[in-house]
Amino acid sequence: MTDSRAGHVQARISFTINGGTRTVHAHPMERLLDVLRERLQLTGAKEGCGEGECGSCSVLIDGMLVNSCLVPVLQAEGSNIITIEGIAAGDTLHILQEAFLQGGGAQCGICTPGMILAAVHLLNRNPEPTWEEIREGLSGNLCRCTGYTQIIEAVAEAARRRATA
Amino acid sequence: MRNDSIVGKSVPRKEGRDKVTGTSQYVDDMVLPDMLFGATVRSQIPRGRIRRITFSPQINWDEFVIVAAKDIPGKNCISLISDDQPCLANEAVSHPEEPVLLLAHPDRHLLPQAVAAISIEYEPLPAIFTMEESERRSEIIWGEDNIFKTYLIEKGQVDAIWKDADYIVEGEYTTGAQEQLYIENNGMIAAFDAAHGITVWGSLQCPYYIHKALMALCDLPAEKVRVVQMETGGAFGGKEEYPSMIAAHAALLAMKSGKPVKIIYDRMEDMAATTKRHPSRTHHRTAVSKQGKILGGEIEFTIDGGAYATLSSVVLSRGAIHAGGPYFWPSIRIRAKAVATNAPPHGAFRGFGAPQSLFAMERHMDRIAKQLGVSPVEIRRRNFLKPGQATTTEQVVREPINLQKLLARALEVSDYQFKKEKFAKENQGGTIRKGMGIAAFLHGAGFTGSGERYLSSVVGVEGCADGSVRVLVSSTEFGQGTKTVLSQIAAEALALPYENVSMAQPDTLEVPNSGPTVASRTVMVVGKLVQSAALGVKQTLISSNLLRDAYNAEEFRAACQEYVATHGQLRSWSRYEAPADIFWDDQKYRGEAYAAFAWAVYIAEITVDLTTYGVSVDDFVALQEVGKVLHPLLARGQIIGGVAQGIGFSLYEKVVWQNGRMQNGQMTNYIMPTATDLPPIRVFFEELGNVYGAYGAKGIGELPMDGPAPAIVNAVADALGIHFDSIPLLPEDIMDGLEKEGLAAPSHESTVGLAGRIR
Amino acid sequence: MVAPGSLNAIISLLANEPGVWLPIAGGTDVMVQYAAGKLAARKLVSIWNLPELRQIEATANGIRIGAGCTYSDLRRNEIVRREFPLLYSASGWTGGIANQNRGTIGGNIVNASPAADSLPALLVYDAELILVSVRGERRLPYAGFHTGYKKTLLATDELIQAICLPRRFAGYFSHARKVGARYSQAISKVCIAALGLLGDGVVQDIRIALGSVAPVPLRLRETEQGVKGKVIDSELLLLARGALVAEIRPIDDIRSTARYRAAVAGNLVAEFLKLLSSRRAKPGDVPVNPVLARWNRLSTVDAARNILPCCGSINWAGGMAARRPIADEAALLAASDETWRNLTPADWLEAFQSHPRIGESRSSSAQSPQILPSRDQSVEWSTQEQGNIAHAETAAKIALADANREYERRFKRIFIVCATGKSAQEILEMLRRRLRNDAESELHEAAEQQSQITQIRLKKWLQE
Repeated sequence: MTDSRAGHVQARISFTINGGTRTVHAHPMERLLDVLRERLQLTGAKEGCGEGECGSCSVLIDGMLVNSCLVPVLQAEGSNIITIEGIAAGDTLHILQEAFLQGGGAQCGICTPGMILAAVHLLNRNPEPTWEEIREGLSGNLCRCTGYTQIIEAVAEAARRRATA
Repeated sequence: MRNDSIVGKSVPRKEGRDKVTGTSQYVDDMVLPDMLFGATVRSQIPRGRIRRITFSPQINWDEFVIVAAKDIPGKNCISLISDDQPCLANEAVSHPEEPVLLLAHPDRHLLPQAVAAISIEYEPLPAIFTMEESERRSEIIWGEDNIFKTYLIEKGQVDAIWKDADYIVEGEYTTGAQEQLYIENNGMIAAFDAAHGITVWGSLQCPYYIHKALMALCDLPAEKVRVVQMETGGAFGGKEEYPSMIAAHAALLAMKSGKPVKIIYDRMEDMAATTKRHPSRTHHRTAVSKQGKILGGEIEFTIDGGAYATLSSVVLSRGAIHAGGPYFWPSIRIRAKAVATNAPPHGAFRGFGAPQSLFAMERHMDRIAKQLGVSPVEIRRRNFLKPGQATTTEQVVREPINLQKLLARALEVSDYQFKKEKFAKENQGGTIRKGMGIAAFLHGAGFTGSGERYLSSVVGVEGCADGSVRVLVSSTEFGQGTKTVLSQIAAEALALPYENVSMAQPDTLEVPNSGPTVASRTVMVVGKLVQSAALGVKQTLISSNLLRDAYNAEEFRAACQEYVATHGQLRSWSRYEAPADIFWDDQKYRGEAYAAFAWAVYIAEITVDLTTYGVSVDDFVALQEVGKVLHPLLARGQIIGGVAQGIGFSLYEKVVWQNGRMQNGQMTNYIMPTATDLPPIRVFFEELGNVYGAYGAKGIGELPMDGPAPAIVNAVADALGIHFDSIPLLPEDIMDGLEKEGLAAPSHESTVGLAGRIR
Repeated sequence: MVAPGSLNAIISLLANEPGVWLPIAGGTDVMVQYAAGKLAARKLVSIWNLPELRQIEATANGIRIGAGCTYSDLRRNEIVRREFPLLYSASGWTGGIANQNRGTIGGNIVNASPAADSLPALLVYDAELILVSVRGERRLPYAGFHTGYKKTLLATDELIQAICLPRRFAGYFSHARKVGARYSQAISKVCIAALGLLGDGVVQDIRIALGSVAPVPLRLRETEQGVKGKVIDSELLLLARGALVAEIRPIDDIRSTARYRAAVAGNLVAEFLKLLSSRRAKPGDVPVNPVLARWNRLSTVDAARNILPCCGSINWAGGMAARRPIADEAALLAASDETWRNLTPADWLEAFQSHPRIGESRSSSAQSPQILPSRDQSVEWSTQEQGNIAHAETAAKIALADANREYERRFKRIFIVCATGKSAQEILEMLRRRLRNDAESELHEAAEQQSQITQIRLKKWLQE
């Protein structure tokens, strides 16, 4: 059976994902997005464009927001990855997830995992962002359904709640 | 037992928790054992006869499942309205990207190479790419005359008005194709076995459209075709008819291989090969009195349908009916036609013809205003429809809509007057020009005319074994809130807590055909049937003496459980019945076109930067009368999202064509607005109720698509003093427009001149 | 793909199979090409997150940015933000946050798109590239690195190791703007990076670079020449437009048209000039030193003559004159150090000879005739610098004189020391220590002292 990767050595790659260590055997150039979705069954990250334009594949690597469709899995060796599946604490939703739910931040939901991670990334660095700063922090995540207003409001609300908590 | 009203509250989105935790199952998240991946070999030319297909020897073709037209068990077509669109091209192709062959293989990484290893030789035929070429008929590519459909709408005595006209105002307005750009690409999984037949799971709006198409294609009876909707990542009409094609392809591969097959498009394929909004051209010729009243006019509305008929006749219908806007036309003649070109067929996209014809109407109103020397506000005031007056199709406005007040309110919340005066002063110098623009419009909800009667939708509500309630509809959730609002309606009707009601995942094995999820009909039409079906469940329990007239949630639960335990199932059905007082004449195209219109006035504040010729939208007011707002957060979200798409339609989203093929089929080069491009969009509602809609609701899904483009282009015209009549309106176009008027350079210099024109 | 993890291993790989291995850093360009099947014939070697490539180091004179620094790294760096605002802005325009976290400046340079946002900034900042291969290191001025559309001077076995920017521009007015189809996530239709210096009402210095108007990022040297030395008025704006139109070669492509690009490029330059001319000093702004402003406008010969007393080497003076205009003290001192470092020992000796022997007040060596008038200034400064010695105890003076003579016998030249703030005893001890240096080390130590003297003298020079 012909394998597209036949003749290419598979690499053994280990990383921490959502708090646990995983090891995969994969072609070094396999996209992290595909490794997450197909090998680890973490399907929260989505492919919207395959070229790093839409942000629906966003994950956090070592605390940094990246587009996983552009990361070759070999470069994730030894890193600490957080996906949307790792954002809630068990049954307790993250403050941003709550805010999205209450504020209409998710409509069709396909951009939502990436959008929430981008918001997490923003609030980790800038706990009290202005409207402009939220817009800029989410500028790499496209949403076709919401027109962004209720998403930005949800992020602002989450920041407000966190500040007064 | 009293129940606090659920309808009118922003209850939690039913599937919201799954969406924010990333656990929703979209089609590409699903994997079946032994599954193959499918790909499509497509035409590279716009029109021609297929001479030969060659398979390169460098691929081991034995490993691949290959499907061609000859493998189709039933009819080689995607059955929709006319059956002219093939599922797979057989002897000829009529547009670039037309599907010719299908391949499947266990390793999806091998498919692109395999597709590239198939070469198709054609005898090319002359192809046409514009409406004008199609009208010239130098090449006939469809039917006898390249015309898919025409409509004629006539009212009054239009030939007699011209002599009495103080002004005759003409204008031509064009709109370009627009890609729906749902963030989730089209995808389907199909499986087949002789016992159950075909099952498809996918990203889709209309399970029963696919069901009908697969029956004809696979030559299978209704019970041997099953369509299941998965969580769908945006649709906007782009997954109304197109999914039948991709489902057909997956089904054929599944039938041939005996294995499940998954086809997921990548972005480039989805953009280039699937449907887009119909490009349009509208010509207005209007007779106006010096009092600024419209005496009558002629409108020619033409849309480009692409290579096959698909839904063009219905898009044309809606566009034609809306072409006169929210104004009183004593006389009018609307000639509408849909023509064929050698492009992939254009199709449904939110608004469905109305954004195109309403763009023209609202731009034309500003043109009339300018020619008469009255304000854009005044020209509309003088011509708005009033209750008791009839629309262009002679539908009498029966509800107490007051468009004067609607306009006044919009002007007030947008600070229109103050800003207009301020901008007029400030626009005298510098490199910034600001403007305000108005769009007033209406949008009919539900299927046109006899459409709803023809659909004859059926809705079910079920009392389940555990005492909870389930709504059974083929209406799909794709972000607009179907599950939430239909559950709200059933809960309200039954006076039960919202948490006790859910909506079944649309699965043609489980749910009746409540019609497609289109035309802004779900809450209004289907919701009303949900209401009555729910009441039917209650009635059954009461007549079985398991429930009294007044009951609480616990009592209902117990009664339901007992009924199901005894009778096995508790289901109540409701079928659409056309209201007795709605008349529509399909021949004369006259009468009550829609059960209800929603009405709106939108106002845009924009800035033109003369350094870059770019337009930014600084403030946007969307005010609409929508019957009743059943879920404030969802309704607001719908309006904002629709306005955002309308802003894209007017300023950003250009499809670059070459020989019928989209050249900029990537998110890098097809530009939709990001979070930094849009202002906060301000939404306001008025509620007059609607007797034909659930709890008084009118449809609102498509309404917000109609207003932004004309409001914005009117604002640009206000800022620059120049007419622009074509969208998308890009900075390059604005520069050209300024140059034509000799107004090119920004005031960096005191003399006029662009680079190269030094004085 | 392989990830050897060290720079040496990677350049060995590149040398062993030239043209086969393609380095991949953050992957924002390479992964797109890979997915499109364009890299089937190449093997990939990861250079992501190599410590050798991801540092940002600052010295007094310049900043050295590792080629593997991401745009987020650049945005976080205080010196980049304060002193290289054009690069700072461009870093925030290159894609969204996620792409800035992965895209690297080296990758952007090598990808060589004429539309890249940060490349015009590098051009106006006079960037220098450090390239590395098994053959060693070589430095190239960034200007000229792009030879054609997506073609560079990078050899097949080379990597960019670092990008060096001189810290000379803090006093300049800077302006950057990107014009794309939308505010974020856009490939530029035109972009501008520009620096300007006004003094006495005319343009002292101007540096303009544009993206997306030519096959390469373009420095508008002709336009700059046409604008330099002139007053900014509407006539100059027109002139600048005309020069610009002749210099750029924009095209029609999927994003925009040549006509639009040409018009907007002209508008951007005009906007920059207008902003420059109306620039109001912000709090904390330092106006251009009047001595410097005047010196910037002298002829080359006069400028060299005028600054020679600070150092004594003609080639140093000529080198300084050639670096004009210089914005401020920091830039002046940085320029001096750099010029000094690039001189030969013969130039150093010339500088040494312009001093009087330490403890004496007159220089003993011959002077170059045409520079004569400034000798008085040098002598006066020497006197000030050696002030402490003049007041020292006689015994110390005698000991110093003896040691000096011993030094001159050994090294055939006078002892050079930056005397300011040092006591006679300290100088004596230093002299005795240095007497034990070998010739090579002593030459360098003397040169170092001379450069310190020059720094002090330059500061005084600015106060006149």
